[in-house]
Amino acid sequence: MDDSARRLLQRIMRRIPAQMLKPTLDKWGRLTAAQRQSMDFTESKWALTEKLLAICEENEMTVKHITELEMIHVIENPDHCMWYALQLMDPEEDVHSVELTQFKEQFKSHLRELIRHVSIKIKKHTDEAVWIRIAWGDSFSRPNHLKPTYVVHHLQTPYVFVTSLTSKLKPLLSQALVLSTRYQAIKDASLSGRKLTAIRDLLMRQYQQVFPTKYPSPLAENDQNASNILINKEQAELAASRHQKAREAFGDGMLPQLQSAVYKLETKFRDHTNKTMTEREEAFRCVVKFASTNLLESLRHCASSGIASTPGTSLLSSIPLKGRNYFVITDNSPGPSSQTRQPSN
Amino acid sequence: MFLAQQRHYSQQNKGKDSRNMETASTKAGVLSLLSLLEVQARSRRTQPQQQSRVKELKAKIEALKVQKQQLEAEIETHQNLQKLRSSLDKQCADEEDVEMEEVSENSQLLRLMARHTQLKDLLHAHHLIGGYDVIKTRQGKGVCVSLATAYEGVYLDTYNLEIDLKPTVKISRHNIPPFIPVNGLAEENDMQVNMRAFLDALSQHLNAFAGRKQQLKLLKEQHKSVEVMESNVLCSILVLMFKVPRAKTAVLCTLDYTDHSRCLPTRVHFECEDKQLSDSDQWKKNHSLLMETPVHKALTAMKNMGDIV
Repeated sequence: MDDSARRLLQRIMRRIPAQMLKPTLDKWGRLTAAQRQSMDFTESKWALTEKLLAICEENEMTVKHITELEMIHVIENPDHCMWYALQLMDPEEDVHSVELTQFKEQFKSHLRELIRHVSIKIKKHTDEAVWIRIAWGDSFSRPNHLKPTYVVHHLQTPYVFVTSLTSKLKPLLSQALVLSTRYQAIKDASLSGRKLTAIRDLLMRQYQQVFPTKYPSPLAENDQNASNILINKEQAELAASRHQKAREAFGDGMLPQLQSAVYKLETKFRDHTNKTMTEREEAFRCVVKFASTNLLESLRHCASSGIASTPGTSLLSSIPLKGRNYFVITDNSPGPSSQTRQPSN
Repeated sequence: MFLAQQRHYSQQNKGKDSRNMETASTKAGVLSLLSLLEVQARSRRTQPQQQSRVKELKAKIEALKVQKQQLEAEIETHQNLQKLRSSLDKQCADEEDVEMEEVSENSQLLRLMARHTQLKDLLHAHHLIGGYDVIKTRQGKGVCVSLATAYEGVYLDTYNLEIDLKPTVKISRHNIPPFIPVNGLAEENDMQVNMRAFLDALSQHLNAFAGRKQQLKLLKEQHKSVEVMESNVLCSILVLMFKVPRAKTAVLCTLDYTDHSRCLPTRVHFECEDKQLSDSDQWKKNHSLLMETPVHKALTAMKNMGDIV
């Protein structure tokens, strides 16, 4: 086992939390029963790492095997890197007939054409997501396994999620993706975050959206049973209407755990009391960032509790409506405009 | 009851301290209610009690008389409407075109109202049979369409679309999954001009998708011995592995659902090491069975005939 494989294994062992070690190694399935027995999971992680290194030497494992372990860990815990969403545009005629084997072959061959030294691993997860791990090299050096890029794509949808990618490598990946998925272009979806599940659920609308309907769901009656019948709420009607509007704007139940939203303002300064700033010709550049452990939940609560007036500003409700969390606002457009943003590492 | 009384008194004393009252009654909330009560208590102290009570009661009588007249007029309108509605329904059933007897404004209005209730009932009936349902939103500037899906008599997911009507007809938001080409269907069917054709096409696609998805779910539940090798989110491709009893071979079956508006496959293909098996009469029958019946039912039939385990 060479040096890079050893370093990779040490790094992976550092990242996997102690309680996840046994299940991840079992899933990897590359240790014999005897070897598994010999690992004492009550020891310190450092001791376990040394043990595992010895076992891997024994089994003559290569970097390829170690990357499998890393991939298993990342698929189980995707919420530790920064993910960026991309959207494929202008589908070709046969976009819906792209199936897994075809996509795998096409992607690998296209990417290998564009860059000679690259290591690609593709795996299909149970929820129909295709995971790709790419280790980049260049014309002179072997692929660097310590800085891989992960790509997640659901076939038959136009969305792709990527982790760290330098601006030099992005066009290569984009080209390979576009050609293998039978679309014509790819653009930045202006949505990023640490939790892959959150940005995926937001973009693919996997949360409960609420629409105006003539036939309200029976769950609405549960709220009445909860409160004391002897207490007649003064503003019950108003509160109910606020709740409904908040749920229509942001959704019902568990919302995707988005953690930040950034608004880049390029508008002219407007305040009549401050003549010097208002007189300036150029736009007043300013960046507003909202951060929270669960941003959409807090915005919904603002609207339903009456802190913010309903209907809320379209700037905030655009986050779930358009599925983005990066907006550039200029004077010409009445609402948030779309702009590309380069994901950098 | 207390609240109703307060509101009534506020209407009574509108003349007095009218400016304060109006601003208080237009704002809703606890503070405004308290200020209302405060003003009332103040005014009550300055007036002789008896006279105001008599005046109040007289005014109440007048208000109730007006209300009675209004209700009587409403009942009469409703009765006329019912008569007109039953004649309209009969008209539609007989497909006759009865001439309008009176052309007065009242009767025209009544006819419109009757037609309106007829359309609302038609929409309700459409909703009950599992078709789509439409309601107005944004004070008439938009509509929200709810499309229900069902398969084999079981209701499945409901999808919604919010469509703006002014200034242009366009879809503002929806919860339809991204692999159903909503925008493509809107363009194909020219949503601006022919909304109904677009909704019918969309409903067909969604129902077909729901049907295919349900077939896959039932297949996994009812036929655990059949292995699903490949499927996708759109449920447009299905690859199954059958085990043939007595023979040691397995059959790989590929079902292509290229027409996304249908629940049945457009192509069925068998792959087997034993070439004779796939060419046999029995399996040719199975081929047409899979093309014509839903997959979970076809597999039950094939199991009963002993072709697969």
